[in-house]
Amino acid sequence: MMKLCAILILFVFTTPSWGKELEAFPDLQLNDVQGLKEATRVLEEEVKLAARPQTYVLIDLVGSTIQIKGRGIGLHQIPIIRWSGESRNELKGIHKLVARPSVVRRKIDPGAAGEQEPISLADMPADYVLSCSPSMTIAVVPSTAGKTLLRSAAILGKSGWHYVQHWASSFFTDTPSTPTPHLQLTIAADHAQSLAWSLVDGMAIVIRRPTDK
Amino acid sequence: MGRLLLATSAGVLLFFWVVSALTTTRIAPDNPPALHSSPVQDHASLRPLQDRYKALSKQLSQLIPSQPYIVVDTARNRLYVKHQEKVVLDAIASTGSGVILDKPGEGNSQWVFDTPRGEFLVKTKLTNPTWIKPDWAFVEEGLAVPQNAAERAEQGVLGDYALGFGKGYFIHGTLYTRLLGKNVTHGCIRLNDSDLKGVYKLARVGTPIMIF
Repeated sequence: MMKLCAILILFVFTTPSWGKELEAFPDLQLNDVQGLKEATRVLEEEVKLAARPQTYVLIDLVGSTIQIKGRGIGLHQIPIIRWSGESRNELKGIHKLVARPSVVRRKIDPGAAGEQEPISLADMPADYVLSCSPSMTIAVVPSTAGKTLLRSAAILGKSGWHYVQHWASSFFTDTPSTPTPHLQLTIAADHAQSLAWSLVDGMAIVIRRPTDK
Repeated sequence: MGRLLLATSAGVLLFFWVVSALTTTRIAPDNPPALHSSPVQDHASLRPLQDRYKALSKQLSQLIPSQPYIVVDTARNRLYVKHQEKVVLDAIASTGSGVILDKPGEGNSQWVFDTPRGEFLVKTKLTNPTWIKPDWAFVEEGLAVPQNAAERAEQGVLGDYALGFGKGYFIHGTLYTRLLGKNVTHGCIRLNDSDLKGVYKLARVGTPIMIF
């Protein structure tokens, strides 16, 4: 009987899934009500996405990562260096990427001698805006390391332009328009290219938002 | 006049950016009053939330395939066979080149030689596969597309095995092993002979293939 108990205890504690069920967000503090609410909301969305044969993106603003996932498995992870976003509830829910970043593709010349140069990560843009449905934009900007002044000016211009567009829209239509939810993610340039490579049209995006404690 | 216009535009832009920056805050939670709830309320609402979180975490972990599955990283040209979180096989692959080819006589229509991204399933497992050359294989070489189907069959170019995952895409072998690790294919995933054999043994019809 003792042996059986020992085997059972050993089995329970060595089963791979044991304990893992609590690790959906390892950084989450289980006594943080707001954090739990947000994590639960994201998990509800993720369970829906992971149940279908597709890859999707989880932007974890708490854990500072962008993850390409499928069936709940993290396939590829990109660290976020910095982010900023407007105080908008519209970042909740599942958003669909309207179109992946465009890339200039080379054309095959039929019958021509020699191999055609393929596209590579280096051909991918590092600075782009992702439009999603329901309405949301995500600006991906490469880290300013090494090009601080130029990049800062570009980011400043982009933020300013986003605000001017919203202001102009509300001014001319004479209605108090709600600005498009906007998120800006700063990541390493090669990671930005890698993300652009992995995205596909219509890809689902879920965002885990931080909560003020 | 031009300079004045430029300076005014820059000033306006700067003004809106400053206003935007001042009004942009970190994302607030949905129910701000809950932030100031008493410890008693927090404690009462904590347990059901924790239970829900644990239940959902478990539900998500149960969606992970219990059998081995295939992951393909098209940017880095790697194929992995994984079981749970463990890598069972790690192979250098060749995936889609991303180049385009005009379809003759079809206006702006083109073939795009990308490896499809997303989740697929192994649909067929073939030994000694024959390549039935599609139209693009002839067009690419500047040849006429044959009317006779028999002229499309080519033996020995796909290796010993092929695993089909739909719409004419396969994981197969290659004669051009020097190109492994590069984006050179028309969308299929090429492996060397020994890795292909390993994948063939580990995968079954229905094995998930996750491509990103």
